[in-house]
Amino acid sequence: MGEVTTSFFHGLGERAPDLLPKRAHGTLRFDLRNGTETEHWFVAMHHGNISVSPDRRDADCVVHVDGELFDRFTTGQANVISAMIRTECVLDGDIPLLMMFRRFFPAAPGAVDPRRMVRERDTR
Amino acid sequence: MTEPVSILDGATFVVSSRNGDIDPSPSFPTGLFALDTRFIARWELTINGERLHSLSVDDLRYFQTSFFLAPGEPTHYIDAKASVIRQRTVGGGFEERLTVLNHEEEAVDFTVRMEIGSDFADLFEIKNLLPKRGVITTRVQHDTLRLSYRRDAFYRETLISASHEAEIDEQGMTFRIRIEPHGKWTTVLRVVTLFPSADESAAAELPTSERGRGRPDVQRRLDEWMARAPHLACDCEPLNDSYERSITDLAALRYTGLLRKEKLPAAGLPWFMTLFGRDSILTCLQTLPFIPEIAPSTLRTLADLQGTRLDNLRDEEPGKILHEIRYGESAAFEEQPHSPYYGAADSTPLFVILLDEYERWSGDTALVRELADEARLALSWIDSYGDLVGNGYIWYERRNTRNGLENQCWKDSWDAICFRDGSLPSFPRATCEIQGYAYDAKIRGARMARKFWDDPQLADRLEQEAADLKMRFNRDFWVEDGEYYALALDGAGRQVDGLASNMGHLLWSGIVDEDKAPMVARHLLGPAMFSGWGVRTLAEGNGRYNPLGYHVGTVWPFDNSIIAAGLAKYGFTEESARIAESIIDAAKYFQGRLPEAFAGYDRDLTTYPVQYPTACSPQAWSAGAPLLLLRTMLGLEPQEDGLTVRPAVPASLGRIELLGIPGRWGRIDAFGRGRLRTAAQPSADEERPDGAA
Repeated sequence: MGEVTTSFFHGLGERAPDLLPKRAHGTLRFDLRNGTETEHWFVAMHHGNISVSPDRRDADCVVHVDGELFDRFTTGQANVISAMIRTECVLDGDIPLLMMFRRFFPAAPGAVDPRRMVRERDTR
Repeated sequence: MTEPVSILDGATFVVSSRNGDIDPSPSFPTGLFALDTRFIARWELTINGERLHSLSVDDLRYFQTSFFLAPGEPTHYIDAKASVIRQRTVGGGFEERLTVLNHEEEAVDFTVRMEIGSDFADLFEIKNLLPKRGVITTRVQHDTLRLSYRRDAFYRETLISASHEAEIDEQGMTFRIRIEPHGKWTTVLRVVTLFPSADESAAAELPTSERGRGRPDVQRRLDEWMARAPHLACDCEPLNDSYERSITDLAALRYTGLLRKEKLPAAGLPWFMTLFGRDSILTCLQTLPFIPEIAPSTLRTLADLQGTRLDNLRDEEPGKILHEIRYGESAAFEEQPHSPYYGAADSTPLFVILLDEYERWSGDTALVRELADEARLALSWIDSYGDLVGNGYIWYERRNTRNGLENQCWKDSWDAICFRDGSLPSFPRATCEIQGYAYDAKIRGARMARKFWDDPQLADRLEQEAADLKMRFNRDFWVEDGEYYALALDGAGRQVDGLASNMGHLLWSGIVDEDKAPMVARHLLGPAMFSGWGVRTLAEGNGRYNPLGYHVGTVWPFDNSIIAAGLAKYGFTEESARIAESIIDAAKYFQGRLPEAFAGYDRDLTTYPVQYPTACSPQAWSAGAPLLLLRTMLGLEPQEDGLTVRPAVPASLGRIELLGIPGRWGRIDAFGRGRLRTAAQPSADEERPDGAA
């Protein structure tokens, strides 16, 4: 079980009020393949709040993805939508739920705030 | 060169030559395309080894075309012993009903051959075909030819089968047939585009069309769509034609992407068959009085895909509304940034504007409440990430310097934003029309905050910011010696003094000071900007002006529809009507289907509007243009308790009746009689050579 992924899921509850739009309502299950094993995370979003458990329960949207790739979503190194287009992240069910869940994935390492880019250059 | 034939249904479209053949062409995308991938690149019919030539082509419906053909090279005499009809229907791939007619008085043997192949090219590779990184496999399986492409998990497949027994090999299908005297033979070739579903072992049909449904269903859905749109009755045939054409084309351009099941307006054929934030929003704004149903799905999808994080490749920031999404290989492997790409500085305020305007027409307060968080985030993007410099304007400068867009406004070609002398400004840039959108978004955000979000503090703050923005804008962007608004501010804060159509949008947004509006109107309708067919993107006399310059001299129907709406808003009804009249006049030369752009030549010079060489057609916001012009001429404005109608119809258009306009009032009819004499059709009136009000 990836440590990055585990702490990512455990941290969601605290981050949800700032990140999730209130219309986010429904359940997601992440099936993360690690070799021959599959790790499950069940996420229930209800009007901006979230609850998380490592359970295999029926969900409105099931996300099939390699555990290592998911680790990279949680560190910002990989992008979930391009992974979907590559078919490396495959969805079953209500796609908009994952689109809203994307808000939890952080910026890519090295990503630049465009304001900083402009203002630091101009003061140089 | 003969015009290619295009048919489409949603994100699936076929472009072929006049005889129905598909021959991979380097410069123009011919083939069967679905979601930015070419699934068929070769589709060539021969009879007894001979190619066929076209006698006529019948574009029956947007999703259906019939080709009437005869074997051999065209000659003066049509003395065919046989002829061929190819009837092609698009939807989840395509179906081709192939009929061979024997005109002889005896039975004849024929060898009918279809050469078939695919290169699975990404739409972005078409102009410059690259060696594929993945592997193409061709297999013959029972009665099916399977062409497939795999690169890692990325997988696309084309299946081809026929209703008649065929000899199938890896390059196509052969039918050896005998046709009785004056008889005929028919087979149906079916091409299916496949895409992996959640269950990776099974391939599912692309979600671009309703699976398993036949032609009558597409027709029925089109009929229902047409019936839901208001009925137009008018004296002016070109207006009638372009109205019908537009409503039909907007039906054809609805597509379903991979990320949502609802239909959305795609931007245009062939290069832009996908969701663009700006194009889709503006199309919805143009069409609210006619086909409001496309707005909620567009708003929801854009909200789902709102920017969530900083990302250099995608020019993404939290709260930003996307520019463009693609589903092809180049987006998948991040060779192009379209997953989605966020390089647009205007789509975010436009999103707020559409949400509010949609409610004003529909009364759908639930959607305004549902999308409150996304709309607030969009509003805060305007003042945070959007304001690169920190002086209260929206600026843009790409971080993706490899294949991001230099100009992140609607005029997104590299040379579109320029000084009067032709030189190019430094970055970042703040174009004028985006500040207008920001102003409008704040005013509308305030209305929504007060009425629906129960947040009077936000409403007060937004109104204050809007007033402040208007004041600063009219000071900082006004070019004193020319009496017009600068096209932009550059990185050094200088006015980019190109005289461009962008300032017409400022009228539409309401950011223009009352005392400055007459000068803006005078420029827009003056000889340097108004060609006689419409307002040019850039005025003649500017360094970069070129009547065939994509954003530096051509006339864009969509741009003109926004400008006409803006002029009317400030009371310049004659000027507005003159633009409406000229654009509708131009539509006549395109069988009612306004292209993306036409050349900026003076009307006196060409007598007909010259289409821009590679213009997209149909294009959503061009199809939306006659609709917004109609709304403007009839003076339709939604109110709490109904719809007001204040017609200002040019005399040349005669009577206009628009019956069954949908909205919060149910359905209402509007009438307008052409009484307005415009300078374009002066007849009895005095000439006004400078076009001034």
